[in-house]
Amino acid sequence: MNALEIRNLTKSYTGFQLDHLNLTLPNGCILGLIGENGAGKSTTIKLILDMIRRDDGHITILGKDNRESIQLLKQDIGVVLDDVGIPECLTAAQVGKIMENTFTRWDNSVYAGYLKKFSLSVNKPFKEFSRGMKMKLGIAVALSHDPKLLILDEATSGLDPVIRDEIIDIFSEFTRDVHHSILISSHIVSDLEKICDYIAFLHKGKLLLCEEKDVLMEQYGLVQCSQAQLAQLDPNAIKGKKSSPYGVQALVLRNRIPRGWHISPVNIEELFIFMVKESE
Amino acid sequence: MKGLLLKDLYMAAKYCRSFLFLVIVFLMLSLWENDNIFFTVYPTMIAGIIPMTLLSYDERNKWTLYSRTLPYSGAQLVTVKYLIGLMFGGLAYLVSLGATVVRMTINNYFSMEELLFLGTLLLVLGLIGPMLLLPFVFKYGTEKGRIIFYVMIGFLCAASVIANGLGLQTFIQIGNSWIWGIVVGAAVVLYLLSWRLSILFYQKREL
Repeated sequence: MNALEIRNLTKSYTGFQLDHLNLTLPNGCILGLIGENGAGKSTTIKLILDMIRRDDGHITILGKDNRESIQLLKQDIGVVLDDVGIPECLTAAQVGKIMENTFTRWDNSVYAGYLKKFSLSVNKPFKEFSRGMKMKLGIAVALSHDPKLLILDEATSGLDPVIRDEIIDIFSEFTRDVHHSILISSHIVSDLEKICDYIAFLHKGKLLLCEEKDVLMEQYGLVQCSQAQLAQLDPNAIKGKKSSPYGVQALVLRNRIPRGWHISPVNIEELFIFMVKESE
Repeated sequence: MKGLLLKDLYMAAKYCRSFLFLVIVFLMLSLWENDNIFFTVYPTMIAGIIPMTLLSYDERNKWTLYSRTLPYSGAQLVTVKYLIGLMFGGLAYLVSLGATVVRMTINNYFSMEELLFLGTLLLVLGLIGPMLLLPFVFKYGTEKGRIIFYVMIGFLCAASVIANGLGLQTFIQIGNSWIWGIVVGAAVVLYLLSWRLSILFYQKREL
């Protein structure tokens, strides 16, 4: 069973359209949704959680239609938003009490364990926490009710690299259970590259690609050459290029490049930038 | 919905302490003021706007968005604010009526008619704030909703001036208890309509 299936999802605003989006997140995997600000990542997440109305399409979460049973499904979903959203005057202890009366499978001992692990004060108001601590509290809440699916919207943005690394480790640990999956959106591509099994590129509301990360790494590569050398290659092999006075750097499909060419590995960030520029 | 109620009670305990202070001061003043009922009715009116204060903090803290990711329906997210309004408004209502009885006792008289009139007035004024404001807040958010509320209050003040001119106040005060019953009944029905309207607006609102 897939944790999440999105088919032909469409949503229009003035000046923006999420255009027939198709995504699949298999159980036990992490799908990274990469896109620039305004690409449609948050809109997609809001549509998944039925926080806004879709114009067209279909969404299935853990095998169920999201609109038919969203309230029940939210018992199985942990969400962390960019702004977290916990009222500033509340302490971690009070948040625990609220969530205990919100989630049917809330586990106080798990929550206390995360608070201890993250060195979060139980009685300090949320407003006195640093940005990293606020995010950690949001993550502790999202993980303490035995969720099957974590949805993280820019949950690592604005954090320092050490805290980002800690948080990424926690997400990796979460998906050790084959029934646990994560959808994580970010414009910090390096974070997603570390943990994701699948990568989806979203640009101006359109899906540029959705593929297994390892397949992407195997399929694509970079070549450095002159314009004349590039012209010798199969045009279908070239998926993007960047020209400079010193030559051309091109994103290519490895299997369409003749033997003898030196192809360097490409990272996800480079792949994303090439594809975005090519699509414009 | 218990979690939502608990969250609002925690927030009210933090942000609405000044209301408690105002209630005490105004009710103390009402004990020595026989001719002006302002000190008696004001605590109930300000208790009625506590839900709007909490909604303002919800918006500022991004709880409005976050709460929609939790396993609550739109109806539950709206209903909790109406319940909070009833809880705090009801408490202020009872305390205000109690203070009126104390004032009457201090002045060695008791008028059931005056108590009924005041009870009706308090109920209407306590319900009118959330009844008018909450649907607009749930539709447009706290900032725009507040502006629309002030416009509505302006219209109501104008309407009350016209009603006074037509002698409506005298008609109510002369002891027509059936009029009070109609007023209370209408206030309760309108409060329930306001609640249903807020749910409708909130479910249609996209954040």
